[in-house]
Amino acid sequence: MSVVTINGTTPIHRRGRRLSLRRRRQVAGFLFALPAIALVVGFIGVPIGQAVYYSFTEWNGLTSTWIGASAWTQAFHNSNLWTALQNNALLLLAVPFALGLPLLIAMLLHQRVVGWRIFRSIYFLPTAISWVVLGLVAERFFAYHGTLNSLIHAVGLTHVSTNMLGYESTALSALGITFVFTMIGTNTMLFLTGLATLDPSLEEAARIDGAGRWRIFRSITLPHLSRFIQLAFVMTVIALFSALFSLIFVMTGGGPGYATTTMEFLIYQTGFDQGAFGTAALYGLILFVLTAIVGVVQLRLIGSEE
Amino acid sequence: MVLIAVIMLYPFWVMIGTSLKSEAQFLSGGGFSWLSWKNLTATIPVGQEVLSSTIVCTASILIILAVGLPAGFAFAKLRFRASTVVFLVIVSAMMVPLQAILMPEFVNVTKLGLTGGYLGAIVVYAALGTPFSVFLFATYFRGVPDELIEAGIVDGLGYFGALWRLVVPIAIPAIATVTVLQFIQIWDDLLVGLLFIQNTSERPITVGLAVLAAGRTTSIPELMAGSLVSALPAMVVYLVFQRYLVKGLTMGIDR
Amino acid sequence: MADIDFDGVTKVYGDGPPAVDRLSLHIDDGEFMVLVGPSGCGKTTALRMLAGLEEISSGTLRIGGAVVNNTLPKDRDVAMVFQNYALYPHMSVAQNMGFALKIRGESKREIARKVEDAARILRLTEYLERRPKALSGGQRQRVAMGRAIVRSPQAFLMDEPLSNLDAKLRVEMRSEIARIQRLLSVATVYVTHDQVEAMTMGDRVAVLRDGQLQQVATPQDIYDRPANEFVAGFMGSPPMNLVPCQLRPGRSRVEVVVADQSIELPLGYADTHSLPEAGADVVLGVRPEDVLIADATGANVLKVRVERVEALGSEALVHLAWGEGGASSSRDARSRSFIAKVGPRVTFAPGDVVSVQVSPEHIHFFDAGTGISLRAGGR
Repeated sequence: MSVVTINGTTPIHRRGRRLSLRRRRQVAGFLFALPAIALVVGFIGVPIGQAVYYSFTEWNGLTSTWIGASAWTQAFHNSNLWTALQNNALLLLAVPFALGLPLLIAMLLHQRVVGWRIFRSIYFLPTAISWVVLGLVAERFFAYHGTLNSLIHAVGLTHVSTNMLGYESTALSALGITFVFTMIGTNTMLFLTGLATLDPSLEEAARIDGAGRWRIFRSITLPHLSRFIQLAFVMTVIALFSALFSLIFVMTGGGPGYATTTMEFLIYQTGFDQGAFGTAALYGLILFVLTAIVGVVQLRLIGSEE
Repeated sequence: MVLIAVIMLYPFWVMIGTSLKSEAQFLSGGGFSWLSWKNLTATIPVGQEVLSSTIVCTASILIILAVGLPAGFAFAKLRFRASTVVFLVIVSAMMVPLQAILMPEFVNVTKLGLTGGYLGAIVVYAALGTPFSVFLFATYFRGVPDELIEAGIVDGLGYFGALWRLVVPIAIPAIATVTVLQFIQIWDDLLVGLLFIQNTSERPITVGLAVLAAGRTTSIPELMAGSLVSALPAMVVYLVFQRYLVKGLTMGIDR
Repeated sequence: MADIDFDGVTKVYGDGPPAVDRLSLHIDDGEFMVLVGPSGCGKTTALRMLAGLEEISSGTLRIGGAVVNNTLPKDRDVAMVFQNYALYPHMSVAQNMGFALKIRGESKREIARKVEDAARILRLTEYLERRPKALSGGQRQRVAMGRAIVRSPQAFLMDEPLSNLDAKLRVEMRSEIARIQRLLSVATVYVTHDQVEAMTMGDRVAVLRDGQLQQVATPQDIYDRPANEFVAGFMGSPPMNLVPCQLRPGRSRVEVVVADQSIELPLGYADTHSLPEAGADVVLGVRPEDVLIADATGANVLKVRVERVEALGSEALVHLAWGEGGASSSRDARSRSFIAKVGPRVTFAPGDVVSVQVSPEHIHFFDAGTGISLRAGGR
């Protein structure tokens, strides 16, 4: 260990069996962090590396044969991949609704009319329910004998009947609608928290200055909420990429055909229905890159805070 | 607002309404019957499945807390060499969806011999939940004054003592946040339970329901009764600890 | 109980200048030592090294004769009072105070007895079951003190413990802490930036600046015989007047030239002061209370103009200046003005020209370059 001499004073030999105080703190810190590091590296970090390796192989879970870059070219020639990517892209159209509706609801709740607390609890309640269950309910809603048709009949269109989940053209829309519903609770909660941090005197000042409702919303409320809207956007997109599995699994199983197969469901199908582990790992990497792009946005969000 | 409330309550209405009909009544549209509730346990091993869910949830959350608390403390207060970089790496792991690493993960856990019963799912849930808990605890502990820890150290505590006797008691709100968020997430999850718990007798309730639903042979009223049972615990937790949930969601933005 | 010895203790952060530079300081058993200086002078760093919260870069630190450079805080047996009190929020007052004893493994009964004793000294008995949140600032401060005294440690370390209190409480707690320290007679190191606390509380005062020890002495000694210009200017409120001037040789006297006027010093003055060669620049220092405003004429009287009068009730501060433009003009205002502290009923107004007198025995001289006092025998 080095001996520090400053301005010719007697050097202290940082020797002996005793560790220096700072060293001891660092060792304690490292040991405290170690289990978390091990868990994350072992079960998240290592698999990413493996996924990269296996994406170049033909792999059935037990044995793998290296096939190199052609694994990737083959994958990109697979129409299922493009269908899944397209489905994901189309589902992005649901995001504005998944943000806009909650924003509206949050603004309503923020008016604090009588009983708003009860309404708030009711609005948030579906957040606690598993998407498996919500998927089951949604399936009932869209089914031939389901609520949607009852509603249509109730408004007088007795000869019209839909079965949205049954047709390739409409199944994805039904999935998107369900997704919007499932996101309402969380995003409303976010926006309501954001609104609560808004200084009411700002709004009052604007009103005194003669600003109308829309003006106040545009110039004060929205800019204040921008951070929360960004966060909600990121969370919604990530959920779209990686949390639809439960809905798809119970509602459509990816069908009809491949009409509701998204990337994450494609990974599951490729791996576990077809046993093509290597291809599934490759698809996983594509999904990883997609979420990483969103993730970088999110990290910059958090980073700019500190 | 009432209209929105009706829409948001719709799932419950469907579950309750449908479960209170016999299969025949359900198909014809009218009537009332306790039948599906009577038959529920025969069709779906609800008791066993709720127990499985509880075991998996509890064990995973305990690991997440046991691992996340010391790590959050370390990153916030005991900064060691490269701790900032390590912290950022762990936090970015929050963004990795399980599907992205599903294949290698599944093969690894299978090779470790953990995919039979609860263990595999517990480990995977713990690993997936750890980055968030480390992030949340570290953020929380940064708000705790250094002097508080130093006072404890001068009073005679070692670092482990400071963690156990000062940091953990102070962190109770943050612990509640992590627990509630993870409980709802794990209780409601399908993918991990579906793949990593192979023994049908140890299936969590969400998996049991999903598998029956996907099979499309089960009586729908019974399925709805089961759904209601599965939804109850998470709803209770949610209603009781709502404020911790909000806090957790906006962590890092609302300070 | 024990004595404390800093021997050439240095703290360096990264590549920066030392935060504490070769500090050598001995604190006797039972002594109340105040470390005082402006912020960033290294006083808190010195205290934290003593507590074991900060690594020592070089030098030796001893408590009760034993080297503690690498001893863990918990093995040093010192108690510390923090600026923000650092009370454990999840424990009651009694638990806060007894925590160190509990860690040490003392019996419940023993802990309860010691906590009650301490609570009595600190008048906290009725608050023992409260949480820190439910206490006032002064009460929290006393709990922080209590946490230290129940341990009967080798030493008390206090880091600006009064700076978060309002003015009235601060005065009260000042004498309270001094009283308790004398009662327990445990070696105490007390860090503050407040020179009033330094003057009133310490047995001795150590003045630091930029990590370097300037002077260690009793408060009165520091006040009467500051070792250098910095100490002279730091201790005392308002601070000592410091005026650049020139020495001129006289046949029987030494003459001091201050802005075209002069003061004569008795010839014997040179015996007690190591004054430099005649013609040299020096800094003259005089405390505000030693500046007498007199009608007298004759020797050692300076004519000055009254700039401003601040009446403080029990006394008045008179800002005086000489020369064209007066003090308000510009950059060398400091060297052209000074303050006199006089009785409260003053009869003069701004603009008046008055005579001031300074008796030679109250004059300090400092080297214009190094700032070191020119009193013979150094410090």
